[in-house]
Amino acid sequence: MKTIDFILNGKPIRSELSADRRFLDVLRKELGLTGAKEGCGEGECGACSVLLDGKIVQSCILPLASVDGKTVMTIEGYKKTKKFKAIETAFLKEGASQCGICTPGMVMATEYLLKNNPAPSYDEIRHGLSGNLCRCTGYNMIFNAIRRAAKEGEGLW
Amino acid sequence: MKRDISKSIDNVEGREKISGEAIYTSDITMEGMLYAKTIRSTIAKGRIRHISIPSMPKGYYTVDAADIPAENYVHMLHEDWPVFAENSVNHIGEPIMLIVGPDKEVIKDIVGDVKITYDEQTPVFDLSDSHKALEFTKGNPKHAFKKAHKIITYDYETSYQEQTYIEPQGFIGYPENDGVTLIGSIQCPYYVKNAVKTTMGMDDDKVRVIQAAVGGAFGGKEEYPSLIGCQLAVAVAKVGKPIKLVFEREEDMEVTTKRHPAKIHMEAAVDETGHIRGIRSHIGIDGGAYMGLSQVVLSRGMLAVTNAYTIDHVNCKGDVYLTNTVPNGAFRGFGAPQMIFAIEMFINHIAEDLGENPLEYKMRHMAAQGDLTATGGVFRDPILLNEMLETIMEDSAYHEKHKAYQDPDVFKGIGMSWFLHGCGFTGSGEQEKIRARIRLKKDDKDDVHILIAAVDMGQGPKTTMRKLVASLLEIPIENVHFKNPDTRYVTDSGPTVASRTMMVVGGLVARATRKLSEQWVSGQELVVEESYRQPDYVKWDQDTMTGDAYPAYSWGINVTEVAVDPNTYEVKVKDMWNIYDVGKAIDERVVLGQADGGQAQAVGYATLEKMEHNAGKLLQKNLTDYIIPTAADTPRMHNKLIDNPYPLGPYGAKGAGELTLVGGAPSVALAIEQAIGRRIYKIPATPEHLMELMNHEDH
Amino acid sequence: MVDNVIPKSLDEALEHLAKGDYQIINGGTDLMVKNRAWSETRLDFKKNMLYVRSLEALDYIKRENNVLRIGATTSLESLLYHEHVPSVMKECLHLFASPAIRNMATLSGNIGNASPAGDGLLITYLLDGVIVLVNAEGVRKVRINDYVKGPGTTDRRSDEMIKEIQLHDDAFDYTVFNKVGGRASDSISKTSFAGAVRHEKGIIKDIRIAIGAVAATVIKDKSVEHMLRGQSIHQLKEKIPQILEAYEPHIQPIDDQRSNRSYRKKVAMNLLEAFLRQIASKE
Repeated sequence: MKTIDFILNGKPIRSELSADRRFLDVLRKELGLTGAKEGCGEGECGACSVLLDGKIVQSCILPLASVDGKTVMTIEGYKKTKKFKAIETAFLKEGASQCGICTPGMVMATEYLLKNNPAPSYDEIRHGLSGNLCRCTGYNMIFNAIRRAAKEGEGLW
Repeated sequence: MKRDISKSIDNVEGREKISGEAIYTSDITMEGMLYAKTIRSTIAKGRIRHISIPSMPKGYYTVDAADIPAENYVHMLHEDWPVFAENSVNHIGEPIMLIVGPDKEVIKDIVGDVKITYDEQTPVFDLSDSHKALEFTKGNPKHAFKKAHKIITYDYETSYQEQTYIEPQGFIGYPENDGVTLIGSIQCPYYVKNAVKTTMGMDDDKVRVIQAAVGGAFGGKEEYPSLIGCQLAVAVAKVGKPIKLVFEREEDMEVTTKRHPAKIHMEAAVDETGHIRGIRSHIGIDGGAYMGLSQVVLSRGMLAVTNAYTIDHVNCKGDVYLTNTVPNGAFRGFGAPQMIFAIEMFINHIAEDLGENPLEYKMRHMAAQGDLTATGGVFRDPILLNEMLETIMEDSAYHEKHKAYQDPDVFKGIGMSWFLHGCGFTGSGEQEKIRARIRLKKDDKDDVHILIAAVDMGQGPKTTMRKLVASLLEIPIENVHFKNPDTRYVTDSGPTVASRTMMVVGGLVARATRKLSEQWVSGQELVVEESYRQPDYVKWDQDTMTGDAYPAYSWGINVTEVAVDPNTYEVKVKDMWNIYDVGKAIDERVVLGQADGGQAQAVGYATLEKMEHNAGKLLQKNLTDYIIPTAADTPRMHNKLIDNPYPLGPYGAKGAGELTLVGGAPSVALAIEQAIGRRIYKIPATPEHLMELMNHEDH
Repeated sequence: MVDNVIPKSLDEALEHLAKGDYQIINGGTDLMVKNRAWSETRLDFKKNMLYVRSLEALDYIKRENNVLRIGATTSLESLLYHEHVPSVMKECLHLFASPAIRNMATLSGNIGNASPAGDGLLITYLLDGVIVLVNAEGVRKVRINDYVKGPGTTDRRSDEMIKEIQLHDDAFDYTVFNKVGGRASDSISKTSFAGAVRHEKGIIKDIRIAIGAVAATVIKDKSVEHMLRGQSIHQLKEKIPQILEAYEPHIQPIDDQRSNRSYRKKVAMNLLEAFLRQIASKE
């Protein structure tokens, strides 16, 4: 039996599932991690965003094959980090989450953005979040939250 | 000094959403749970000749109209919308049956093997088949038009808009106590419960509906969930096991309700001084295949015919036309965005035709306290539009920009709209249809539980209701609890719609809180209830549609600045300045969050969100083709609130949620008009449409 | 059941390709969407699948003089932030898709799809790309305009895969990339335009023009480009109507759910004209 091995939130996982399975299904159905959400199933909305070797990807169009030998971080692992706390506080203070369905994905996008650019401009934030759709907030409060996280979490990224 | 209620606190349920711990419908699995997939009509209109079902493996079921114990219609206002199509179908995507079983792969195969043959009939797609006509008159419009110095006439058109909540619709149902329990993504637990009771012929205690975390709704989860809730209840009763029915994105976009496309005819009778003496209007909305809530949507649209203007003589007619397309329904604003687009554009177009300055012209017609509404009701409360206008003109530098952008070579524009929104149900709806009841319970630890059916779908009542009670009782918010409603425990405080949650339900909660405070005995359990009483001053005649359509109105002004690319005709909506009178914000940030979100939806409605069908089949049915704004598209928002407490609202609060969307589109469209030097009569003003306008020589 | 193979090396991948008919899947941002099915169920893949995205040996960006060599599994995001990548390509990558898609998607995948709306394809045309194909026997090079046969069809044989893309850059003085999508980001192009020019002392030394999503393949007319080389900017200015006329018949877009023929055509012509006028303004 061919297996696919990867590190998920710091723990090694050996999967015997078929390599063409959507990684989102593996997370949600097989591993019971429901923090990544399915909004569209076509890589358009970003609610299913996870970090693959530290890079944001959409897990709904990620074949299980693509995680072989790699490291994956989902919101379940990320929420235990200091950086998450800074983002969480900023999102709460700025009202960046309304219905919440896009929020775990937004958090992952924020991490990826700040890792590459610890003090992003509004324009850089706009493009950094352009793969994560939100229908509630009109995004402005999310922009402010990211600016706040960058400022108050200075040194973390 | 007491802390101002509007001062924002952290969103109390934000934490579990940010960490991904909030449980949405699709996150739930139950022991022995089955899955359901819907078989749908592939034709727009016809009779079902034959359904061929493959031999079903053990443990797999079909569920269709024959399995319905009582009524095969979705209990709403009319009895025309079937739970499952029986004999005939009236739109592509109409549900015919469910395939239920334990393995989704097997279900998928069965679905692929079900063959349905039809006798096709000629479908209707144009607005010709009226199923409901409404009309009201104020003053003597006949006379006004007869005496008119000039009659100005224009036609306006608005398109579909899809709610595009990021979480598709879904439910899990399971058998409980010889009845059925449903957990789902819903706005209105009691709508679902009452619909299921009707379809199942079940007593009140047999149907239980629980709200899961809701990933956006915007009206899209007002009435549509009743349909799938009924289907799932039928399935649960037949199979006797938990079943999950969650839509895929494309399925959701193809079959669920949308904002009604509308065609609006406007006529104005203008006197010698240029003043509008009378308005005649007809609005036709495309209801889709079944009536659903279309009649009420039509009514709210018509009631906005004179928007925030005082016109002495008005005749407004409207029709709901049925077509063989997906049924349309509730979407934030509920008919008002269509009409407000028309009237705001119309007033500007009249002013231009008369050679008047549009802003001054609009101000001359602005509604004032004490004026009569379009239906002859009274604007009883102060109207602060003048003050609001002064603020927003200054903040946006409107005059300077408007002047600078007169230069046709800069391709920039600034537009302004003002508008009102009636709070709560129309007319006597709250009193006669909804009859809200709410309950508060104090436990023996002196913690207070808010037992209402209001749903937090992102708009914040879990924060604001708790804040309201905590503030009135002067206790910490941590001692006030508000869980997702479960009809077993909460009273029917009505649906979470119509910008009524804070003003109407919150008003009752505030009253009950005061009662609780009066009867408070520490350490003792105590339950208080309140129910809705219509304010004495509200007089409404539903038959003639005259009187006070709403007990109160919220007000807003949007100013939008755009740039149009002359090579690609793309519109960049750069900035929006917005000011709202929602009475009193129970939490400033919650209301400002509503503002940002509503405005972004208005920008999408005005420019990006094109949806059309070809012979009843929707062409833009996923998030790639149906374009909603991304973070890179959304304008910079500059929002302000102005206090104008409404005596009967809690702390003076009025409605807020819909207000932030209803008037945005005309402000965007007017800005585009200035940028391109052409008039806009229909939205969305896509680049393709702007190209046609800009390449058209005479204008 | 389809066979799923995750090769550990290029040789292993080529062995499989030599043996049987495989669908090569790279980043998957197109194939995973096209073959999507009910959530939690198998995708609609009909062929055996060869997952090449993890072949690290093909993850590279190299520059030799004016030739940029891009390995087949290099992500678009790596390209966006790489010093060797020319600015016109970066502009394209920035607007191509969201960060998540850029992390998954590859230029070779975009070329392999051969969608006329592919933004990566447009840049490959602009930079006179050469596709390096490899099979168990060896490599062969094909120019992009010979490689793409039509929407979704290419010159690749079933035992071959793309190993590398070679782009021919120049010290351009002025470049432009326009993506006209449904919105500011995260969209499929309705039409796209890329142009680049190098001039010395008022004489055009190199000019490239590529137009996407308005015909079965990207439009790049070498004969017009050759004709313009060596001409003065002043001559180009005078020839603008002729140049527009030369491109006009090639621009044959379609109506679909995203836009319509007349819009696509008009915008493509507008962008071409704007590019030419910009060059002319440098006289």
